[in-house]
Amino acid sequence: MEKLLEVKDLCVSFGTHGGEVQAVRGISFDLYKGETLAIVGESGSGKSVASQTIMKLIPMPPGKITNGEILFDGDDLVKKTDKQMEKVRGKDISMIFQDPMTSLNPTMKIGPQIMEVLKKHQKLSGSVAKERTIELLRLVGIPMPEKRINQYAHEFSGGMRQRAMIAIALAANPRLLIADEPTTALDVTIQSQILELIKDLQQKIGMSVIFITHDLGVVANVADRVAVMYAGQIVEVGTVDEIFYDPRHPYTWGLLASMPSLDMTDKAELLDIPGTPPDLTNPPKGDAFAPRNRYALAIDFEEEPPMFQVSETHYAKTWLLHPDAPKVELPEQVKRRVRKLAASFDKPVLAEGEA
Amino acid sequence: MAKKLLEIKNLKQYFNEGRPNMVKAVDDVSFDIYEGETLGLVGESGCGKSTTGRTILRLYDATDGQVLFNGENVHGRKSRSELKRLNRKMQMIFQDPYASLNPRMTVGDIIAEGIDLHGLAKNSKERMARVHELLETVGLHKDYASRYPHEASGGQRQRIGIARALAVDPDFIIADEAISALDVSIQAQIINLMKKLQREKNLTYLFIAHDLSMVKYISDRIGVMYFGKLVELASADELYNNPMHPYTKSLLSAIPIPDPETERVRKRTPYDPNVHQYTPEDLPEIREVKPGHFVYCSKRELEQLQASH
Repeated sequence: MEKLLEVKDLCVSFGTHGGEVQAVRGISFDLYKGETLAIVGESGSGKSVASQTIMKLIPMPPGKITNGEILFDGDDLVKKTDKQMEKVRGKDISMIFQDPMTSLNPTMKIGPQIMEVLKKHQKLSGSVAKERTIELLRLVGIPMPEKRINQYAHEFSGGMRQRAMIAIALAANPRLLIADEPTTALDVTIQSQILELIKDLQQKIGMSVIFITHDLGVVANVADRVAVMYAGQIVEVGTVDEIFYDPRHPYTWGLLASMPSLDMTDKAELLDIPGTPPDLTNPPKGDAFAPRNRYALAIDFEEEPPMFQVSETHYAKTWLLHPDAPKVELPEQVKRRVRKLAASFDKPVLAEGEA
Repeated sequence: MAKKLLEIKNLKQYFNEGRPNMVKAVDDVSFDIYEGETLGLVGESGCGKSTTGRTILRLYDATDGQVLFNGENVHGRKSRSELKRLNRKMQMIFQDPYASLNPRMTVGDIIAEGIDLHGLAKNSKERMARVHELLETVGLHKDYASRYPHEASGGQRQRIGIARALAVDPDFIIADEAISALDVSIQAQIINLMKKLQREKNLTYLFIAHDLSMVKYISDRIGVMYFGKLVELASADELYNNPMHPYTKSLLSAIPIPDPETERVRKRTPYDPNVHQYTPEDLPEIREVKPGHFVYCSKRELEQLQASH
């Protein structure tokens, strides 16, 4: 498969009064054409900062990219100026946000907000742009688009606003859509409609999607591959089956075990992840997850673990995969889902390149 | 059968009554809450679940209907002291742990506010001891008493909210989306804490949420609301395994399950309110289809449901 996006050892930090917050600490991943990569993690894990950096939407200063490359179709976005980025944003890469109310312009009718993109990037004339806008609104499932283009955002419901946002994002046929918690603010019934819509449109247009969420149910629904982030780093990445049926990182275990499942009949206690995420102005020595990790080894407090490779597509950053590491007992809730996957190697190996 | 702690009878809460923009936020809702149980209340935003919770506590004056707490009508004529006595027995934990704590008060003062109002501590020493004890109960260090809310994380703030609710030794706590704003791992911490407290203090919960998997996990019984009406009420397992109202079915089919294989074959069933085809003679209301399983339906539908289940 062809790579659309390559992120290499990206580091992003923000200067604050309390010191420099290292929000993203050296992440690397690839995104292939037509696939959906879900990025999961807690608030503050750096998933939103990472994705906003791809579009260079973080305010600079106080934010700065301290290291790394973002290759979009071989072109390094880190080096691009603001002016050059304007040609990329909304055209090649689009983004939809969590809160559709604050991301739409309340003083502008919905129609012109979509036409703006068409006029700028597609260089369409007024009447053609209007027709295309109506077509787009119909595509995202908004009834009576001829009337709707003359309405304001406050006349739309939450789900309809998110649809309008998606219409804006898709107006210029982007090759990459970044969806930052697009359904978190919506009800489950509306959420499932929006997820269906994104998947459906992705098939029609053939774009790649980066889907940021903390809801593992949504991940299971949309993702081809999953990257798990903790404290500004990717701690595990693999296909959706590998993450759900053969997770290797204790943080991933924690995430999977802390959710009740609908078929759970016993009322056993949920396995929470104790404590809170670390302060990234002073990232802890060794493995950042160690203080909250029930499976932490002595070395976790001393030295940061390297990335180990479990299969062609599956990587995890934990000392537990080291040949000398003791065998550990998985949490009950995780053990129930684990199965042997055909693609995994006999033994984890140290990853040479990056995930 | 356990004792009824609360009886909600034909509760109505209309806003802008009599005007063209009248909203029937809660429209003739009746249910009971038993002592020591957790009743979950689910539904989409705007279905009236939060309004129901708030009206039960008399945060809103009910348009019509009764809320009986231990047999006493919460919405009846009350003197200040009677109201105070009731308020002490019923507490609430709110959704937004950022907006629900006064940023200008120390955590200790926030927790002790109820203690002060109800005169539950004889002197400042006893008050402080009580605050420390409460902080410990919810898993926070006692040093938090002298800190301000902004120093605490979301999960810690929610713990403070719980400590505040517990301060007056209530029997009944309404948790209105108490975990919705928290991360998954922190949600589990708070849920485990709430379950532990329930066991230790024999608390009764009304747990309002839209995250159905969490509701299923914590609740003994679950009520589903739609457009101000309670459309189905049953034990948690029964509701999930044997949903009867088409809206409940649709809601259940929409929850994404953290299992890729289930998700690949998922079929969503949309809800169309027109399927009922109610005529004016139908008089749909909440009816018991089988013991403990209530569905909002007409006589005709009741017969159909009873025949097929």
